[in-house]
Amino acid sequence: MNRFMQSDFFYHFRNTPVAMISFAVFTCIILAAVFANIIAPYNPFDPASLNLMNGFTPPMQANDFTGEVFLMGTDDQGRDLFSTILYGLRISLFVGVMAVALAMVLGVLLGLIAGFLGGWFDVLIMRFADIQMTFPSILVAMLIYGVAKGVLPPDLRYEMSITVLIISIGLSEWVPFARTVRGSTLVEKEKEYIIAAKMIGLNKWQIMIRHILPNVLSPVLVIATITFALAIIAEATLSFLGVGVPTTKPSLGTLIRIGQDFLFSGEWWILLFPAITLLALALSINLFGDWLRDTLNPKLK
Amino acid sequence: MSYVIANQLTRHYDLSDPWIIRQINRRPKNILTAVNHVSFSIEKGEAYALVGESGSGKSTIAKMVSGLLKPSAGSIHIDGHDLNGPILDGKATHNMRQRIQMVFQSPYASLNPRWKIGNIILEPIKSFRLIADEKQQHKRVAELLDQVGLSERDVSKYPHEFSGGQRQRISIARALASQPEIIICDEPTSALDVSVQAQVLNLLKDLQKEFSLTYLFISHDLAVISTMANKIGVLKDGKLVEEADSAELFANPKHEYTKMLLSAAPNIGVYVHSERKS
Amino acid sequence: MANPLLEIDQLSVSLKKRKQTLKAVDNLSLKIYSGEILGLVGESGAGKSMTGSAILGLIDPPLFISSGKIIFEGERIDQNTKNIRGSKISMIFQDPLVSLNPLRRIGDQLVETIITHFDVSKTQAFERAKSLLEEVGIDPSRINAYPHTFSGGMRQRVVIALALAPEPALIIADEPTTALDVSVQAQILDLLKKLAKERGTAIILITHDMGVIAETTDRVAVLYSGRLAEIGKTADVLKDPKHPYTKGLVASTPRIDANSLLEKLFQIPGAMPDLDNIPEGCPFHPRCDFADAQCRKEQPPLFQNRSACWLSKD
Repeated sequence: MNRFMQSDFFYHFRNTPVAMISFAVFTCIILAAVFANIIAPYNPFDPASLNLMNGFTPPMQANDFTGEVFLMGTDDQGRDLFSTILYGLRISLFVGVMAVALAMVLGVLLGLIAGFLGGWFDVLIMRFADIQMTFPSILVAMLIYGVAKGVLPPDLRYEMSITVLIISIGLSEWVPFARTVRGSTLVEKEKEYIIAAKMIGLNKWQIMIRHILPNVLSPVLVIATITFALAIIAEATLSFLGVGVPTTKPSLGTLIRIGQDFLFSGEWWILLFPAITLLALALSINLFGDWLRDTLNPKLK
Repeated sequence: MSYVIANQLTRHYDLSDPWIIRQINRRPKNILTAVNHVSFSIEKGEAYALVGESGSGKSTIAKMVSGLLKPSAGSIHIDGHDLNGPILDGKATHNMRQRIQMVFQSPYASLNPRWKIGNIILEPIKSFRLIADEKQQHKRVAELLDQVGLSERDVSKYPHEFSGGQRQRISIARALASQPEIIICDEPTSALDVSVQAQVLNLLKDLQKEFSLTYLFISHDLAVISTMANKIGVLKDGKLVEEADSAELFANPKHEYTKMLLSAAPNIGVYVHSERKS
Repeated sequence: MANPLLEIDQLSVSLKKRKQTLKAVDNLSLKIYSGEILGLVGESGAGKSMTGSAILGLIDPPLFISSGKIIFEGERIDQNTKNIRGSKISMIFQDPLVSLNPLRRIGDQLVETIITHFDVSKTQAFERAKSLLEEVGIDPSRINAYPHTFSGGMRQRVVIALALAPEPALIIADEPTTALDVSVQAQILDLLKKLAKERGTAIILITHDMGVIAETTDRVAVLYSGRLAEIGKTADVLKDPKHPYTKGLVASTPRIDANSLLEKLFQIPGAMPDLDNIPEGCPFHPRCDFADAQCRKEQPPLFQNRSACWLSKD
């Protein structure tokens, strides 16, 4: 730990306000989501605790009927917006993390195979990647989502919503990982330590995983950070469009959709607070990811 | 019978355009012959050097002798076994690999930057199943490090913590770890400073004596070869144009190309002569 | 002795790293005269390339010239090198692949350089370019060819022609033959010798190869840890080195010799220190067989214009 604190990396971190602020912001948001059950004054997912009469209460004002005060107001169903945002963040973050993990594992593996084995593997994987990249990733996600939902038996559809969402976002984001890893693999495989590994008798898979993989992972971290932001926004978009998480467990996207309906009738807070939260989350992750990429880039040193 | 026999080694590279382009442009196939029917033999315990400039085919020959590249024609026999013969026994082929190891030119690219050097040296021992017991394995790694002039404490360090010369020593330790009989040295000191080069070359000499190793030395530097090899083969454009014991080659070069190489090589010997008279 | 063409007077090039100031070149003094080839030899990190860059004003932050003067043709140039660089002093680098613009014909690159430095018409410049190519041993009819159509050695000749185009008084050649084959190397070195002799151009040849020094240079300066260890006529320094480091370098250089197989090469123990680890006193003392108490405490000056070693005092 001590060595990290004295390293050049930490030194740059301490000296770049953008990095520190964005890191602080998204850490706060993540912690808020993790400890939602402690911080949130209400549980928005428990239908029994909701009181429709609380609906449309503006922030920090006593409700006309019940007299309760809510930090950020309530939505149309009487849910405390602050609590709903916190719990909704959990879903957004969970989907984001799992989708990135899926995209990363799949992309890195395919990139390694395409780069190291070459030949037809390379051609097939890369052309498929090219074709997939001609479509906006949201469309790809919607396509996969729709197909999966159609394939699943009706009783599972609700329960598997989140899983299907994760799979569809994950499968739409693997290409940048694969392309970067393939490029690095092509460079590493010509190096002499790989020849040495062959002379020791290792087979192709052993070489790929033990020797090449550790050396192609550094750009992956940066791509993962940025893809994480994309995945969160993708989830919000899909929920906004109505094809994401079910409405009984709203995520940030769902809240934004609800809020949009009521914006022009004056209940501005239902849209504003979830939107700001989403913006803060995505922006802080992106800024941190950018800084990380610039700092870790050996060529800029 | 000689220990290493290269017989009519040939390697072609097909650099032709794809068939359809050739048809449209009416161009013939473009085959590059990197190595053209090269034959030589190395006795056990000898140090044989292949000298040539770029494009001479020496690196390609090194790859074929090491078993990494299949010749287009010709054969390599090590201790009577055909390196590219039918794989009758998978285990025998694996063991064949153990007997030939290589030390490379670049001290930076020849060690995996993400591995601790202890593990780098341990890997051949594990792969060839030379030592099963973990404690003995660690002992062996320490022993190898000591043999190349490094210390046991270096085991948990990463390659970037070492200088170029030290990294070459680690490469040599790795090569020794599989207890090979033949080591192919591909320009092992070209990237090193003079004083470091001297240390590494002396180390290689000592190791050869101590472990009765057979060396195939690849270099473009006649002065280095003069120090290391007792027999030299001169390569030009894929062909072996002259082969002789080193003393004989330097004293009486026969081929024009050999004479040209000797006269062109920058030689401190114009001012400095060794004291010993033969 | 005529006046020196270039004089480096107590030059130091420093580097600021977090909290320390490190010296890449330390108190270096050198003179070079017209028509001679001076070799600057040393191992990696000794400061030889840095010296060449300093002369040309190519030192970029975080490195900076912390003290000393560089005097060219009687005038100080270390503060403002822009006018001199490329015209009176030109440079040749190691890798001919990256020294030439692959997208431009060699004739164009030559003509552009000539026109920049001399007030001549394009046609005249063209003729000059052709004669330059001939001087460096390239068929002048290839003046409209692109760099990639030349082999490595020929490309280096083109680079030399480019360096000659402004009619410089001094050429700094930084490892010009390291990337080339042996046979080509010999030709390029012969070309440099011819230029020094026929044109009177001074050449500073920076290299780590003692063999190249032996075959090409008139005088040689040996650098160690950014300081001058020994300087003198090449024949003297190589046959009878005075500084223990030079002795070690010469003894550890392999040579083509029937006896060398049976002997071990001399090896200097240890390695040249990193910039942040340079010992007090003489930087070589930890590796020196003859070091005494004075060597460990005080930096030796240059004695008899030859060797920076306390043992050379007499």
